[in-house]
Amino acid sequence: MDKSTIVCRCEEINIDEIETAIKMGASTFDDIKRLTRCGMGPCQSKVCMNLVRELLSENLGKPLKEIPPSRMRMPLKITRLGSLVGKESSNNVLSVFSESSLEEGEQQNE
Amino acid sequence: METDVLIIGAGPAGLNSAYEIASNGVQTVIVDESFFPGGQLKQQTQYFNNLPRQFEAQRGITLAETLANRLHSLPVTMLHKHTMIGVYKDGSIGVSNGESTFPIKAKKVIVTTGAAEETCLFPGWTLPGVMTVGAAQILMNRERVLPGKNAIILGCNSFSQEVAQQLKDCGVNILGIIEKNTSLGRESRERLHSDIPLLLNSYITRAMGRGEVEKVFINHNGSEQEWRADLICIGNGLSPILEPFEILDCSFTNKEKLGGLLPGYDSNFKTENSSVYVAGNAAGITCMGGVLLTAEIAAADVLRHLGVLNREDAARQTTYLWKELLRIETQTDSEVFYARVASIQEFHEKNNIPLPTSFHAILEEC
Repeated sequence: MDKSTIVCRCEEINIDEIETAIKMGASTFDDIKRLTRCGMGPCQSKVCMNLVRELLSENLGKPLKEIPPSRMRMPLKITRLGSLVGKESSNNVLSVFSESSLEEGEQQNE
Repeated sequence: METDVLIIGAGPAGLNSAYEIASNGVQTVIVDESFFPGGQLKQQTQYFNNLPRQFEAQRGITLAETLANRLHSLPVTMLHKHTMIGVYKDGSIGVSNGESTFPIKAKKVIVTTGAAEETCLFPGWTLPGVMTVGAAQILMNRERVLPGKNAIILGCNSFSQEVAQQLKDCGVNILGIIEKNTSLGRESRERLHSDIPLLLNSYITRAMGRGEVEKVFINHNGSEQEWRADLICIGNGLSPILEPFEILDCSFTNKEKLGGLLPGYDSNFKTENSSVYVAGNAAGITCMGGVLLTAEIAAADVLRHLGVLNREDAARQTTYLWKELLRIETQTDSEVFYARVASIQEFHEKNNIPLPTSFHAILEEC
């Protein structure tokens, strides 16, 4: 197959870039991710994870079931920072933001 | 928020387990990221014949309504447009509605996140005009938009055949179904329509076009053909949605017949985390009857642990449900049922839990 074929459409990573990463020693999806940004776009590897696992399986000559899935961390879905920190100014993260954005002469919000 | 049972996903499995649990008066919360309940049933106009006995054969869209409407008078809180995004230290589930994030503390959690479609790699697969069969069905049945005029279906399975027929009924010209294998499974053979061409031992070598699909090159029996098409529907099967399980401390296993990677679970669909259950396609890709029954098996064990069902009643119910699952799954694809049983046996061995005596009768049937 044409090596310029896109595998991760969010980050526009093609087969050649993934195979190069495998030649550099990548053996899991997470290795590929760290080396290429594959799977780090808006879909968070929902489309490309198994495509990459198949490429790893072919290139390493290992059965697919021996290629682990990506590490699945929080937040599980794309989440706005605002919805994580909440609206109250008492919240640690938010209060730090509002302090640092204070202009000279401005009043600190309650 | 606190509840007895929290269900992640309001598809057929989530709605059915909610009914089984809440009809016993147990407080239930369902979290779902969509505007309406029903999951993928919302655009499935196909008939489901092989359902558990309490359901008549009906179309997916009707089944979604049937399952959702019976929850109206029950202690069920439906949180639409809410998404599970994480887990707190005390085990509470972190749920976000896009504005804020809050914990839901539940005695038991049932994860019914369903499955995702798999794509297929070929040069040009990222062009507009290439989509999964499920996406084509959403466009056609939910958005009322025809996804194209001349379509190629990639992959021959019951779902892709069904969508091919629906596209044809809507006036789309189906150029053919392209299948890489040289023969078909029993179910696909039985569904075969003589008016839709089927090319076995074939694959797409390249799709081309200016800004969208215009030409598709197909390798059929080793020789290349050029077709004019503006739509390629990929029907490359489903795989369970796994995101919630790792942070819930569940283990994974691998069964090709069940869609690849899936969470490990025991004969009651309880995962390695004793307060977390899995059901439906998230517990392995199966037919609609299997989706509904696995949800009932999980619900029965949840009710036993909450003290609503006693041990004998739960065991009797579970035995009945497993026999139903055997009947329905083996009618569609017996290998799915055998893979499921094998995965459960492995789970019990790995965790040193003896299989319940009621389960031995099921093993003997295999």
